[in-house]
Amino acid sequence: MRNIFLLIRRFSVLLLFIVLQILSLSMLVKYSTSHQARYMEYAYEVTGNINARYNNFTRYFSLAENNRFLADENTRLTNERKQNFTRIDTAVEQKQIITFVDSTPLTRKYVWRTARVINNSVSAQNNYITLQRGRNQGIDKDMAVISPAGIVGIVTDVSENMSIVMSLLHRKSNTSVALKNSGITGILEWDGTNPQRLILRGIPKSAEIKKGDTVLTSNLSLNFPEGLHVGTIAEFNKETGGNNYTIFLKPGANFYSLEFVSVIENLFLKEQLELEQRAKRN
Amino acid sequence: MSEPLKNIIRFILFILVQALVLNQMPPLHRFITPYLYLLFIFWLPFNMGRVGLLITGFLLGLVLDFFTKTPGLHASSVLLVAYIRPFLITLMVPKDTRELAVGSPSMQSMGASSYFLFAALLTFFHHVWLVFLEWMTFGNFIYFLGKVFFSTLVSLLLMLITELLFRPIKSSKRR
Repeated sequence: MRNIFLLIRRFSVLLLFIVLQILSLSMLVKYSTSHQARYMEYAYEVTGNINARYNNFTRYFSLAENNRFLADENTRLTNERKQNFTRIDTAVEQKQIITFVDSTPLTRKYVWRTARVINNSVSAQNNYITLQRGRNQGIDKDMAVISPAGIVGIVTDVSENMSIVMSLLHRKSNTSVALKNSGITGILEWDGTNPQRLILRGIPKSAEIKKGDTVLTSNLSLNFPEGLHVGTIAEFNKETGGNNYTIFLKPGANFYSLEFVSVIENLFLKEQLELEQRAKRN
Repeated sequence: MSEPLKNIIRFILFILVQALVLNQMPPLHRFITPYLYLLFIFWLPFNMGRVGLLITGFLLGLVLDFFTKTPGLHASSVLLVAYIRPFLITLMVPKDTRELAVGSPSMQSMGASSYFLFAALLTFFHHVWLVFLEWMTFGNFIYFLGKVFFSTLVSLLLMLITELLFRPIKSSKRR
């Protein structure tokens, strides 16, 4: 017994090193598989506060660009107003008068909320974005995040007043997207190298694509509404072994200067997931 | 200013610079992520206990991890540096310098060339371990080597500049 204590005393530094090393590695592995940890919620609050203060200064640098985005967005929305459309009287003779009765009132599926970006990284292999809006302000896990110029990511964790977004620049990110021309769907991923180059897989070689084609979110996506801008095709590779192209995408969103983003909640998400789970079990 | 107070202020400053400046910069290239916060570990005094060194290193890494949302990644790497540091000091520093209770590793106390070797080796170990953990699931060897090499170079350059700015070699010896 005495010898054991002597041994422990002799190697106490090495033992402490190994214990702390195991502790940090287990934290790393656990967090990178689940993206959630109780102690991290407190960390988000503290680091979020510091980041918010710092961001109060730095956001002035991207003010011009963000103003331009807002102006573009405004123009786009004004263009969609009802007053801009008119009916042209082309009918010469109406043989049959049909009255439409609205038997299918619209049900709200998505709710949009604005949030301010207070921290953002692009240089790591797994990039996260911090928003200054949390559980108390209606943000929850799995909500979609978009910027005016394109989609940004998905909320992976929330605390009281902050939330963490897994950006598209994350090796575990995969989003269902579709080509605008043909509607063929594929999966959007990132390989952890170049922040200006996302990878689109699963587009069959029969599809006709060319450089500069627009890619939108697909109707299969759980989190994102259909038809949001994702990016444009920068280059594609036909000489791969399989049946599919490897397409490199230039993201629409500028990940270097995110300022305000919209967080979109899918009100049907829970219902859809539960139903799909049940179908799988049966 | 007393030594512990000085170190606490340094701790906060290094974390803030690393988290708010160096990690926020648009990267020059995807291979390059400069790390300056390691200097905090280098600058700790010679006579600091090894257990204290390990715990300080672990805390330093963990606090940075809370900013980068990678709990354990930097903690593990700095821990390695804090563990290796005493061995390197025993190898590289003459015994009489080490026993001066007040000194800490610097160009002044160790000589410019051996201090540089000390910093280079520790930074290299840190980067190898960090990038290895980061790319564990990815497995592209060229990226691994490239990132270790270029990040180490740029980090060392930054450290050298910081070193020369804040702790220059005093040429006149006071006796």
